[in-house]
Amino acid sequence: MIYFDSAATTFQKPRTVGAAMQEAMVSMSSPGRGGHPAAMRAAETAFQCRSELAELFHLENPEQVVFTSNATHGLNIAVKSLVPRGGRVVVSGYEHNAVTRPLTALGARIAVAEAPLFDPDAVAAAFDRLVVPGTSAVVCNHVSNVFGFIQPVEEVAAICRARRVPFIVDASQSAGILPLDMERLGAAFIAMPGHKGLYGPQGTGVLLCGDGVNAKTLLEGGTGSLSIQQEMPDFLPDRLEAGTHNMPGINGLLAGVRYVRKRGLHSICDRERRLALLAAEGLRTVPGVRIFALPGLRDQAGVLSIVPEKKDVETVGDALAERGIAVRTGLHCAPLAHRSAGTLSTGTIRLSFSDFNTPEEVYRCLAVLRDILR
Amino acid sequence: MEYYLILARSVTFAQRMQRALDRAGIRSQIFRAPRDLTSLGCAYAVRVAVNDLSPALVTLHKMSLEPIQIFLYQRGLYREVRA
Repeated sequence: MIYFDSAATTFQKPRTVGAAMQEAMVSMSSPGRGGHPAAMRAAETAFQCRSELAELFHLENPEQVVFTSNATHGLNIAVKSLVPRGGRVVVSGYEHNAVTRPLTALGARIAVAEAPLFDPDAVAAAFDRLVVPGTSAVVCNHVSNVFGFIQPVEEVAAICRARRVPFIVDASQSAGILPLDMERLGAAFIAMPGHKGLYGPQGTGVLLCGDGVNAKTLLEGGTGSLSIQQEMPDFLPDRLEAGTHNMPGINGLLAGVRYVRKRGLHSICDRERRLALLAAEGLRTVPGVRIFALPGLRDQAGVLSIVPEKKDVETVGDALAERGIAVRTGLHCAPLAHRSAGTLSTGTIRLSFSDFNTPEEVYRCLAVLRDILR
Repeated sequence: MEYYLILARSVTFAQRMQRALDRAGIRSQIFRAPRDLTSLGCAYAVRVAVNDLSPALVTLHKMSLEPIQIFLYQRGLYREVRA
């Protein structure tokens, strides 16, 4: 199979990830749940994973690295910690349902910082207009999961800092690919999956919590600390980590993070962008395909959306799958992004790359697409 | 055998304490705190040698890693001491 659906989850993982998961299954129990070797090995692994993530994302204190089950879990904690019922929130025009659905459930008043695709200046200007005192929070994804658009999170963070509005970054498509500096951004929360650009297993996620942020619990339960007390601990990570940890996942994530750090963000990003550019340039020679990319893939990560003019995206996706090529089709759980780009009625076919893809796979996909779209 | 137990609020906090002490060249080990030492319920503690308590507390204070309680283990008994 040629797998071009890494924006959903990276499918090919470093070999060390599976081995680490198996190792955890036979040697680690639960961190903070005993003084025996299996519990202490689990605690050591969890701490090491927090510490390496803290280094990667520039956090001084590993306690501010919270394990979640995915980015959605982290975004729910972030949104529900900061936004009161009916509160006003400013979001980018490219947010995922993982942001907009929790906001809707809270009855939040959502202001959308509308801007055209691949125009970071327009995004920053839109946030500048909308972020006013009294805004409960700002949410912006670093990279659009549909179009790969790299949004100007540093500029948005500066606007939020100046107006003392808490900032939530959805790093689902950028963690492990683009540099992200928690300290410099001064974000309240950064949420990310462990299973995409960090190459951990599915079922892992990370929530980076800003200094002194008042995090609300989604779950309450055992933490292995302050057991007499019936309220959840007020300190991290325990406050947000009720119940037994996913140790195979965390040890797998640690192996993934080590792979990313060894390869280097720049190398991984460069490879993925080169593949996306190759695909975009190749598709320009296919008649009847609308391609969402600027020349040179400006302001875009290794995610590429296309729309065939005469065929339904799902039909094309199925035809690709039949010929061994995995892509994502439809709305990608991000109707707001499609509304912003004008593709809500059609959806798109999304090709998203990982560090394990090759130019040969892109050439093969192009040949098959040419055939399907003839 | 005599030693000090420095109680931490969680296992992660105890691990931060241990890393800080390590960097300062102070040997320590993490243990579950004996149940009757604290009214908080389950807790972890960092064990240091008697001679290391003062430099350990200086190191932890510098890093804002404040202990919950400190106990001296002596002649088979724990006795709380003040920092």
